[in-house]
Amino acid sequence: MANLHPAGVFDTTYDEDMSIDRTARDKLWKNLAFAALLLLPLLSVSGPLGLKLVSDQYISLIGRIAIFVIAVQGLNLLVGYTGQISLGHAAFMAIGAYGSAILARDLGFSFWTALPACALLTGLAGLVFGLPSLRVKGFYLAMATLAAQFIIPWLLRYPLEDWTGGTRPLSVPAPMIGPFAPYAEATLSDGEPWTIAAGDPYFVDVISVNLQAGAGVEPSIALRNPAGDLVLAGDINMTVMENPGGQITGFSYIAAKAGEYRVEISAADSAGAWTAAATVSKALSFSTDIAMYYIIVPLSALLMFLARNIIRTRTGRAFVSVRDNDLAAELLGINVFTYKLRAFFLSAVYAGVAGCLLAFERNSLSLDMFQLDVSIEMLAMLIIGGAGYPLGAMFGVTFIRLLQEAVIPFARHSLADLLPQVFPFIDAVNITSAINPILFGGALIVFLVLEPRGLAHRWEVFKVAWKLRPYAY
Amino acid sequence: MTEFINRYRRQLTWAAYAGAALALALFLADQLAGLRAARIVQTLISGLLVGGVYGLVALGIVVINKASGVFNFAHGWMMVVGGMIFWSFFTVSEISLVGAGLLSAATMFMALTTVSYRSLREGRNLAVFAAGVVIWTALMTIGGIEWKWLHAAAGTFAGAILTGLAVERFTIRPLIGQPLFTAVLMTLAVAEVLHGVTQIAWGTVELNLPVFADPATGSRFKPIRLDQFREQLGGIAIIRVELVIAFALALIAFAGFIVFFRYTSVGLAMRATSEDQQLAQSVGLRVRVILAITWAAAAFLASIAGVLQGGAVGLSLNISFVALRVFPAVLLGGLESIGGALVGGIIIGVVEQFGTLINSSEQVGTNLAPYVVLMLVLVIRPDGLFGEKRIERI
Repeated sequence: MANLHPAGVFDTTYDEDMSIDRTARDKLWKNLAFAALLLLPLLSVSGPLGLKLVSDQYISLIGRIAIFVIAVQGLNLLVGYTGQISLGHAAFMAIGAYGSAILARDLGFSFWTALPACALLTGLAGLVFGLPSLRVKGFYLAMATLAAQFIIPWLLRYPLEDWTGGTRPLSVPAPMIGPFAPYAEATLSDGEPWTIAAGDPYFVDVISVNLQAGAGVEPSIALRNPAGDLVLAGDINMTVMENPGGQITGFSYIAAKAGEYRVEISAADSAGAWTAAATVSKALSFSTDIAMYYIIVPLSALLMFLARNIIRTRTGRAFVSVRDNDLAAELLGINVFTYKLRAFFLSAVYAGVAGCLLAFERNSLSLDMFQLDVSIEMLAMLIIGGAGYPLGAMFGVTFIRLLQEAVIPFARHSLADLLPQVFPFIDAVNITSAINPILFGGALIVFLVLEPRGLAHRWEVFKVAWKLRPYAY
Repeated sequence: MTEFINRYRRQLTWAAYAGAALALALFLADQLAGLRAARIVQTLISGLLVGGVYGLVALGIVVINKASGVFNFAHGWMMVVGGMIFWSFFTVSEISLVGAGLLSAATMFMALTTVSYRSLREGRNLAVFAAGVVIWTALMTIGGIEWKWLHAAAGTFAGAILTGLAVERFTIRPLIGQPLFTAVLMTLAVAEVLHGVTQIAWGTVELNLPVFADPATGSRFKPIRLDQFREQLGGIAIIRVELVIAFALALIAFAGFIVFFRYTSVGLAMRATSEDQQLAQSVGLRVRVILAITWAAAAFLASIAGVLQGGAVGLSLNISFVALRVFPAVLLGGLESIGGALVGGIIIGVVEQFGTLINSSEQVGTNLAPYVVLMLVLVIRPDGLFGEKRIERI
């Protein structure tokens, strides 16, 4: 979609027409905005500088917005630029989220390797559900992706229950860099607990114990946290190693809370038949919202930039021509089918990255997070922001999320007071969860009727008007 | 090799389909081999009966699609609205005069201003408005609890027409001339709004809608037991009477709509509009009015389906998921085919029941099988069994 220019401003070269930043001032403003976004957590209440200027709530809100910006930008590539309707985007996010969680939990991947792996996996799933686009388009394709929205969660829920936990929530470890070389070591002996002062929310200490026991000897290992409580094997920070016989042979624990940790080993009947070595090493952990912010926001900005650049390539131009008229595009020599599949692949990759980030940001996953409603909500965000505009995803997600943050708490109380008085049959309990669908359904209706091109278009118009002020044209 | 494939493409395609069908048949035979004949017969019959209601839901979607070219994703929520309004009039002992009056006034207002809001300036229309409000309010509130069938029917009719007209007026009409994608999104948005509104008004609790109560005892019917075929079937097949009645009523509604389409002048005008809106307008049909009638009729169909489904399995917000299972039925039957809606509905009903029979714990029937059918239809025959072939021009 061509950029709007103020009257009298023309692109005279191809480079100018294709440029991302038209003037040096545009570029400066953009970089300043990004820098300000990166500085924001440092000013927050729990930030390291202790400035307490920004509430923590906003940091996590921006993090969640940035995650959905990635997902909706993927949808933008498919819906806004290639013109293929997708009602299954939340299911692709589910693949990314559950894929990365399972890779990190059960298959020993770190966050950094799980992210590209699950992005690729989701991309492949996108290819599979993009296959019907060979034969059908428009509304029929919406139906095919609707099928994806039901089939994928079903697969995750039942056949893969052993890995995904079915309907139960699945806990996800926090991303980490490290652990680096150990800075303290000890050899443990029976009945003498090893006490170590450790723990920090950002530079966590990884306490690991490795036990080697002779045949038939079954010592038990336990770890007590600073509060003196036993850390259970199911703790999210605890990884337990077992031998083939099912006995515990060691563990590693990520200590994020500062204090004294105690490792105890007891084997009452067979002392001396085992050796245990414990080490402590530092690692950089991303368990807090602020730390995750520095993964999510740069990645989100990078992917936005990437999407914008994809649109400027041959592939992107082919996408747009498929959207505008696929028969005409085919006559121009564009292989419509492969370009549709590319769009599905890219869109699913974006969804996969967003799902992976969502999993590691929330530390807990459930299938309720990826229902049909979420797919519709993402489509609504895209339309409200402006489909086919590079900034559409950002505007849409921010608008809907801010609307939810601003209106829901206010509306909940006033409606809960007002409605049951006017209509005695209404139960105030039901109002809370019903406001959300009404809010974004209503917003979508208003935008479809009054501003179908979305906020991004309005923003372009506003920019032009600002440059030309005080003249109208 | 490629030459061979290109030459025998058609035969190879059919061979692939035949192979897949054979594999499916073998799989089904393997799954069903251990079961008694009675259970299979029972599954077939209840699939057929459930499919009748699905067909009715599909009919509503087809009617709208035929007339206005919009695929209505909000149909499931229209079902919920209709069923809930019926429940309110049916089970609440004292119907508020103000509520009934407001409902009928809103309906009459929407009906009279279909063409233009200015029509209310005419005295004759105002008289019609007043008379309509009085008559409908009277129908909704007259008599005591023993008149509840009348109250519920009048209330549901008014509510359905109000819903249909409001959806058409405020969301679909402004989009005339916009791309199809916009209309799809609009119906999705309407679905979300109706979701919120029904949840606020009636809550998420499952409501008991005793439509199919035995008049003699006032409780639920005893299921029919096919005792006489015990020998042949190796067991007793049990059929729920609620499903039989719902099926019969669905068929009656279906027949009524076919008659309406074929033999009334409004139905004729609707068919003409669906062929070509501009042509219909140029021969003097009022396209606006016809589209409004179409939406009202579809909302009424949705309400009937909602009441039948709610009476058979219990009324809650989950009824809207029925419409999601009906989408495969619509595509299977063909988007433009009224008969196809019934056939598609019954096929999906049977598939669903067999899915539940094979694996009841994993929701294969309700959450997987219809969508697999949907994918197959889209890949093999996107126009459905009885749909029109679409030919595109640039």
